[in-house]
Amino acid sequence: MLLIKLFMLSAFFISLHTLGVIILVFTNLMVCLLIFMLIYMYFRAKREKNQTNYKLISDLLVRKAVFYDGLMLPETLIPVTKRVKKLIDNKDFRNRLTDELVLAKKNITGTSAENIKHLYQQLNLEKYALQLLKSRYWHIKAKAIQELSLMELKEYEFELYPFANNKNELVRMEAQVALVQFNGFEGLLFLDDITYSVSEWQQIKLLQKLSNLPPLLISVDKWLRSSNTSVVIFALKLVRSYHRFELHDAVLQCLDHPDPIVRLQAINCFSEIYTDETSIHLISRFWREGLKHQLAIIKALQNIGSENDNPFLLTLLHNDNYEMKLFAARAIARSGKKGLASLNDYGTYDNKLNDIIIQVKGELAA
Amino acid sequence: MNWQTIVFDGFTYIMVLYAFSLISFYVCVGIFSVGETRNYIRKNSFTDYRMLASATDAPSITVLAPAHNEGLTIIENVRSLLSLNYINIEVIVINDGSTDDSLEKLIKAYDLYKTDYFINEQIPTQAVLGVYKSRNLVYRKLIVVDKVKGGKADALNVGINISHHDYLVTIDVDCVLEQDAILKLAKPFLEQADKRVIAAGGVLRIANSCEVEGGRLVKIYLPEQFLPRIQTLEYIRAFLLSRMAWTRLNGLLLISGAFGSFDKEIVIKCGGYNNKTVGEDMELLVRMRRYMEEQKEPYKVSFIPDPLCWTEAPATYKTLGIQRNRWTRGTIETLQNHKKMFFNPKYHILGLVSYPYWAFFEFGGPIIETLGYFMFIVFCVVGMVNWSVFFIMMSIFSIGVLYSLFAILMEILTYNQYKQKRDLLRLALVAIAEPFVFHPFVVFSAIKGNFDFLRKRHNWGNMTRQGFTHRRLKTKS
Amino acid sequence: MKILVAEDDELMLKMLEFRLRKDGHEVIVTHDGREALAKINELVPDLVITDIMMPFLSGLEIIGAVKKSYPNTMPVIIISGMGQESVVLEAFQLGADDYITKPFSPNELSVRVKRFDKAIIL
Repeated sequence: MLLIKLFMLSAFFISLHTLGVIILVFTNLMVCLLIFMLIYMYFRAKREKNQTNYKLISDLLVRKAVFYDGLMLPETLIPVTKRVKKLIDNKDFRNRLTDELVLAKKNITGTSAENIKHLYQQLNLEKYALQLLKSRYWHIKAKAIQELSLMELKEYEFELYPFANNKNELVRMEAQVALVQFNGFEGLLFLDDITYSVSEWQQIKLLQKLSNLPPLLISVDKWLRSSNTSVVIFALKLVRSYHRFELHDAVLQCLDHPDPIVRLQAINCFSEIYTDETSIHLISRFWREGLKHQLAIIKALQNIGSENDNPFLLTLLHNDNYEMKLFAARAIARSGKKGLASLNDYGTYDNKLNDIIIQVKGELAA
Repeated sequence: MNWQTIVFDGFTYIMVLYAFSLISFYVCVGIFSVGETRNYIRKNSFTDYRMLASATDAPSITVLAPAHNEGLTIIENVRSLLSLNYINIEVIVINDGSTDDSLEKLIKAYDLYKTDYFINEQIPTQAVLGVYKSRNLVYRKLIVVDKVKGGKADALNVGINISHHDYLVTIDVDCVLEQDAILKLAKPFLEQADKRVIAAGGVLRIANSCEVEGGRLVKIYLPEQFLPRIQTLEYIRAFLLSRMAWTRLNGLLLISGAFGSFDKEIVIKCGGYNNKTVGEDMELLVRMRRYMEEQKEPYKVSFIPDPLCWTEAPATYKTLGIQRNRWTRGTIETLQNHKKMFFNPKYHILGLVSYPYWAFFEFGGPIIETLGYFMFIVFCVVGMVNWSVFFIMMSIFSIGVLYSLFAILMEILTYNQYKQKRDLLRLALVAIAEPFVFHPFVVFSAIKGNFDFLRKRHNWGNMTRQGFTHRRLKTKS
Repeated sequence: MKILVAEDDELMLKMLEFRLRKDGHEVIVTHDGREALAKINELVPDLVITDIMMPFLSGLEIIGAVKKSYPNTMPVIIISGMGQESVVLEAFQLGADDYITKPFSPNELSVRVKRFDKAIIL
């Protein structure tokens, strides 16, 4: 009853007059929108013209710094025109110049890179970056952190440390990368305290940063026992990349971790750090795991196993899953001449298995 | 009250309801998409994607490119695929029973030989005739598969069976991709720490009238012809506004098969592509989402607004009609397959919002509109001109145009692919022309699609391609 | 020496050009793989310095093409941000004569380039 009354009321309001007004309003809005867009485009075009100018000036400055011939002492001043010094007050130019300097610094090492840093500090650009750190916009904060990091301004390290566990993901990531940039492996200490997860993307970034540095033996085992699963996974990656053989038993414990991704990472880790007993441990846990982990175990055995594992692998050739058969056959074929020979007996079991064996042999020949 | 008045008023109320829900939908999309796009752009404005290209831990990706009679441009397109920035990649080109010389051309250009390749048939497909690899080290990432014709879904399934990597990127072999496209598509899978990203979609842009050389986009122009131009506007609306908004709600139902990435493990667990439907891309994503809901595992479907993939849009009414007809049939088939989810709270956003939206607006929209026109004309003929409905329809049109202008504004504020003021005016004109010229045709094709579905037509139609050899020479003005 | 440089990053390209010119070499700049290959065939430089990730043709393809057409007379130096073992190995397998990873030192580049200067060797 109420609904019908409501409808009748709405019918009353949807008179011709009201609708006419509505259409007028919308048409006006359209015209306004169009005019706004035209004006915006005009101003943007103007801005872009300035930008090309600024880029030229920035390029010149960067080149001056990179190819500075004389001795670069702390007091040395790279010649900068008065005009440029004034332009630094202009936000657009400053941003452009900073971007170019940071980009150059990222791609170059050695004295040239030092010169860029020198110019950056000479022009006092870090002052602005520090100001931006206090911005309430997370993306501006994060960009400022990245700038300080790439310019290797280690003196601001303590200001950046609290950001490593900031609630905004981007700020967190940039701060963590900055700490590693400043302190190398020791910069990873933030892993002790962080409560948020470290995403895969971030882990890749950190590992990449570390790969440019000489490896340092830091204590990784406490991270292997961390309550933060992502920290455990990252620690396993470190163990793997840096061949930390002494942590073999700690990694073994991770094979029983409740999180499947941790277990998978641990299995993969063993491809790089193993003893003659590792394969026994892997095989003993084989039937507890799902297919994905089982395949990972077989792949690990391919790298670390010996011909002693072949009896186990040969039984897998009877398994229903064809991917498992393929992985097992491959592992057997690569284990040695005896393994390769034993495969020949299986060729007659079924056509598909025969195809697998042919492919695996073909891979060895290639 | 006589029955005529009841019908008259009832009809008016339905139209009011439809208009009202359409407006609220537009407003919601506007708000959500702005937030999501702005978030994305801010987050990625200083991201170094190249870092991923050289990382050993980067996710392994298989690019699947099904091809049928693409002999005209296939060499160039495959080369551009092979030069994409990414290390851990394999490119699988699936020749779906082409009747032209595509395969011979490929074998010659890339020095291919037939290998003994065991195919793990996790998904049943048509027979595979051969798996080819290159003798040249430089092309070691390329695999070409020759198979019996089975349709796009079947070809993709073959690619899935052959793939050895963890993620799939499906593309149309004649689409032009940006250099960093794979990097950008891979990132969403690595960013979520607590949810599993099962798929990521990208924006399709219209390449008509653009300069394309060697499989790469060289210069961007607004399409000259009316139909591609209006589709440019339509795609901006659909991708930059609508899909970004849905992504924010985690309710996205459609990732275009021309450019999308998927987690292979989930795809296989769902049984691969359904080859009994013409809308296989939508159907797969809906099935994957449904699977994750039923498994009660937290998941996300991401979407990337960067312009990464450029495709050729139909330029004649005939080809456009065939395409829209097919899309409608695909929508109906997908909705039918998953009708269990309709307003089913067990499926959360998927069942309560996404599915009903598609049912009422994407599927039902053309039907309601056509009924609207029809009834209006009937009433006029009978002598009861329904001015209310007339004005409601006018206001729906003007809201539509306003929404289009908003879409153009978004485009200017974000990616700004068409830099000249002249292009802005052209797009605006097209936005105004749309409700009178383009929209009725699309609605008509959709209705035809409904009829064809009822008559059980199950084919792709014959779409002739203009090919990217149609290049435009522009003189500086 | 006549050196051809192929690099899609503008800033990098300018820096390489500037540095090599300072050392007294003649420098041909190209911005993508296709342009590079065309200019190599047209101008036949004494040395090629190329990035890997470039539009149209990757640096690896360029190594292959150069080593096929000019096997002993045109050394190729790769300068790239991709430092993984697999990529470096592949480059050398295809015939690269030297591999420099980014970030790099312009002074080091200068020295490495001098190694290939036949005028000095002879």
